[in-house]
This record gives sequence, structure tokens and C-alpha cells, in this order.
Amino acid sequence: MTSMEKRLQKELQALTKDPPAGVIVNTESVSQNMSEWIVDLYGAPGSLYDGEKFQLSFKFSPRYPFDSPQVMFIGPNIPVHPHVYSNGHICLSILTDDWSPALSVTSVCLSIVSMLSSCQEKKRPPDNAIYVKTCSKNPKKTRWFYHDDTV
Amino acid sequence: MNQGWTAVATWHWVANDENCGICRMAFDGCCPDCKLPGDDCPLVWGECSHCFHIHCIVKWLNSQQVHQLCPMCRQDWKFKE
Repeated sequence: MTSMEKRLQKELQALTKDPPAGVIVNTESVSQNMSEWIVDLYGAPGSLYDGEKFQLSFKFSPRYPFDSPQVMFIGPNIPVHPHVYSNGHICLSILTDDWSPALSVTSVCLSIVSMLSSCQEKKRPPDNAIYVKTCSKNPKKTRWFYHDDTV
Repeated sequence: MNQGWTAVATWHWVANDENCGICRMAFDGCCPDCKLPGDDCPLVWGECSHCFHIHCIVKWLNSQQVHQLCPMCRQDWKFKE
């Protein structure tokens, strides 16, 4: 096993054994390919997304955890949120500039649940239309500008 | 009768945590790139008091072009003398 696979194996064990509320890893997706995970995410009770189900896609490069994973929403329900584009891309600094190898699938999922939970009004980012037309498929290729810490 | 005895000693690293925050392997084991724990895969501490396998933290620092921050607390990383 490569060092990336060893680390992901440990994360998978911890996440299936002791999952945080609202985070369920799709073990079937992982068993086929360790470098691509699908995680089901549930909107937190009491938040604007209460009762909604979302899917996150994680893609890991061989350099994980030194290289951040590629994370985006996929599937029929993309949360309507000021930091989530309608193509599933997420504007969240820990996914690029502020990534640390001490972060994990679990901590990324919790950050995203918390980002959703602090939302006051469901709306798309103001530049959604132009962004989804011009961006790369890989959200890590976007030059993100992080300016809004309130949501 | 030929009675012998075998000397056995154990050792472990003294660290705040049990696992390296980067590779998640036990400190008493080695980083995923090494085969044997011990002197070949030592631990290092930062001035912030966080501890990692030396191979793990060096790999991280080498991958950072601008700031070299501790993966745990994001303070500037400085090796503790």
C-alpha cells in the first residue's frame, strides 16, 4: 500500500466506526477505488438545510495528505448557498490555500456542514452564472478569493 | 544443563499524542515510508510543541512555497532546538 492509501484506510476505518452526525461515507464507492470517495451529507437539524440530503465527491491525488483533496457537491441536490456554485464547486479556503495535512475527510465534511448551518438566506453566489460557464472541471484550478468569513 | 537468559528491553517515544497528525500512524511505529521505527524514523518537535515524524513534517514543509506553518496550529514552523 502507498502512504496515501495507508492514511485513507485509517480515515475510512475511523469514519465508518465513529461517524459524526450527518456524515455517512459510501463504503461501496470506496471499495472500488480508494482514491475516489462519495460521502452522503445531511443538513443539520434546525438549519436551513434540515432534512436535505447532499452528496460530496472526494478525489485524492497520490500526494494526499500533502496535497488537498478535490471536493465538490455532486448529484441531483446541490445546496443553494452563497459559497456553493450550481455546478457543485465550493468556495472554502481549507480546500486550497488553507489546507493542512492534519485535516481529513471528516474535518472537511464537518467544515462544510458548519458552513451550511451558518447560512441565513439560501441564495447562489452573485457570480454563479459566469463562473459555471467559464470554470475548469476541477475546482482546485480556480483562483479563489476568500473574502467573506460570515457564512 | 545449559541455562541461558535473554535480555529484552522496550522503548517508546515521549510525545503528547499517540499518532502523528500528518500520517496518522502511531508514534511508536514509523511513518508510512519507513519499515522500522526508532532512530531511522525519529520524531521532531516544533517550537509550538507539536510533534511529527521528521519525514512527515519535512515533506510538508518542502511542499509549501510561501509560508511554512505547523499543520496543527498554523503558527510559523520552527524546529525546537
